[in-house]
Amino acid sequence: MHQNSILLLFLALAVIAVIVFTYVYLSSKNAEQSEQGMAQPLKKRFWFLLILFVILAIFASVTIPKSPYFLFADETPAKIVHVSSMQFAFFLSEHAIDPKNPSGEPIELPVNELVEFRVTSLDVNHGFAIYDGSNRLITQTQAMPGYVNRLRYKFTEPGTYNILCLEYCGMAHQIMRSSFIVK
Amino acid sequence: MESIKLRKITSVWILAVFVLFIVSIILGILMRLNQGGVINQNPVTFYANMTTHGLTMIGIWFVAGMAAINYLMERYVKTSYTVNLIALVLTVIGVLMFWVSTFIGKFHAAWTFLYPLPFKLLGAESWSTLLFLLALTIFGIGWLIWSVSLMTQILRKYSISQAFAWQHFKKNPSVDTPPFILISMITLIGVIASLLAAVVLLALLFAEYFSNGSFVNDALLMKNLTYFFGHTIANEMLYLGLAVIYELFSEVSGRPKWKTTWYVALAWNCTLVFILTAFFHHLYMDFVQPEGFQIIGQMASYLASLPAAGVTVFSVLIAVYRTKMKWTLTNLLFFIGVAGWVIGGLGAVIDATISNNVVLHNTLWVPAHFHTYNAMGNVLFSIGFFYWFSTQFAENIKPERFTKWTLATLLIGGAGFLLAFYYGGADSIPRRYSVYPAELSIGAPWAVVGAIFATVYLIAILVFFYNISKRCLKILSSPS
Repeated sequence: MHQNSILLLFLALAVIAVIVFTYVYLSSKNAEQSEQGMAQPLKKRFWFLLILFVILAIFASVTIPKSPYFLFADETPAKIVHVSSMQFAFFLSEHAIDPKNPSGEPIELPVNELVEFRVTSLDVNHGFAIYDGSNRLITQTQAMPGYVNRLRYKFTEPGTYNILCLEYCGMAHQIMRSSFIVK
Repeated sequence: MESIKLRKITSVWILAVFVLFIVSIILGILMRLNQGGVINQNPVTFYANMTTHGLTMIGIWFVAGMAAINYLMERYVKTSYTVNLIALVLTVIGVLMFWVSTFIGKFHAAWTFLYPLPFKLLGAESWSTLLFLLALTIFGIGWLIWSVSLMTQILRKYSISQAFAWQHFKKNPSVDTPPFILISMITLIGVIASLLAAVVLLALLFAEYFSNGSFVNDALLMKNLTYFFGHTIANEMLYLGLAVIYELFSEVSGRPKWKTTWYVALAWNCTLVFILTAFFHHLYMDFVQPEGFQIIGQMASYLASLPAAGVTVFSVLIAVYRTKMKWTLTNLLFFIGVAGWVIGGLGAVIDATISNNVVLHNTLWVPAHFHTYNAMGNVLFSIGFFYWFSTQFAENIKPERFTKWTLATLLIGGAGFLLAFYYGGADSIPRRYSVYPAELSIGAPWAVVGAIFATVYLIAILVFFYNISKRCLKILSSPS
């Protein structure tokens, strides 16, 4: 799963950092007065920077095309869901939602087909985060007053998906939620 | 050399920062205990405490960095005591107003006060929003005057190109710009830019507040301004700490003073550009933001790590590697702080990757990484300075007893409290939830673990507070 790989990558890098800093500290503690430190530091600095730059460039070129703005950008959604958020509820509907009298309906979405959520807010900023059946955050966008964010996603597993608000929106932020079914 | 007045006001800053820090840590521990189900706070109280915790922490570590560079800058240029005092008085007034707005008025829009939430708070006193905005105005005035004054003093002695160390791009420069001056200059520009964004933000908020509904702001513009201000000031306060390290690390280690070279000059000039454009990564999940800005956000976040890692971190490692040096609590805290900064930076770069941000944005991964480079980075830079400062004027400094144990306590407490955040983030636990919903109940035990280790961290901070503050109090009571 995505988050587990991220955590493992982070922990591995953090452990490497701790080892490097500890090693360097110990090398100073055990150094003789006559020792001269690192030989040719400028050359080593150059190589370190070059390697870091290459790694970051590879990371950027692999990850940027996977950004949500580019995923499914050329496809036509099979289903469109309108989402209006307000303190502290989500309204989901297959039809346009009247901002003066918002109402929602139960939503059922097709499996393996492209769905577009058109997400907005009627008051403050909210988050629109979709959690799968094993309570993993799988995708999200922000719900912003005056704007409509279009979130596209293809659900590959049938089941009930929960929606939680992930942008702090006030005293009942933690109970603001909704759900839909994928069949 | 610095005056006794400067010495005394720096002591007051240190004491104030420590006291506010301890209160804010306790608020943080209470938040984690509430999330863990150990205590049961009203959600409004929880979010008001969260607001107090966040803004107090940002404010104190910003002023701690400013007080430190103000003190050290006196080695190179004359600084204004009056401005330092104005900043102190306005900060104290601002904190009092801000705390009344949250503790009594229950203002709870979080330290980012993201528009339009401050105007749509339920459960808060109606006057609290105005008081909070006025408190921010007071901070803004005091800090802007302070930053502009310090920058002006630098520019009285150094020309603009010298302050940016551009002459170091040529061979054998006729004037040496000390690294401390270069970094202070770069950082102060960032600070001033972020404070000016805050001024615009506040002006727009006041305009809407007093317009009785006839003027409404644009939410996307306000979000950009908010994060330009918030991200920039939160990062610049770290760079204030780095200026202190460049000045003091070699000195306390008994090693030759660090000099500005062409690559140090280049690195810090690049940092200025990257740091002012990286804030876009806060808006990745706003799909209406132009895509170009989103890509700039990821690129700038990645590129910002190059000068940081390739120059500053590498320089610290080179300075230490196989070099016999005098280790004191100050350079040890600086060294551990740089490690904490690196590890927090790794978490930050991972989160600044758009495709990761989709599953990490506004989860506990966010507080995880920024607490790493603050609680285990910037805080250690500042405490390193505080310790060094407090021992400058004390006679017969005996090596502190239990220093090793205090450091071990700090590291264990810090690591445990941060890991609870990282694991929570990887488990998709949202940030800024007073309690967790049933299906995310795994967040509760992580919160309890976080609270326990944060208490261990607090114990180490209390020991540092005791040792440093008793010497600062002596400085204050010494004859002028």
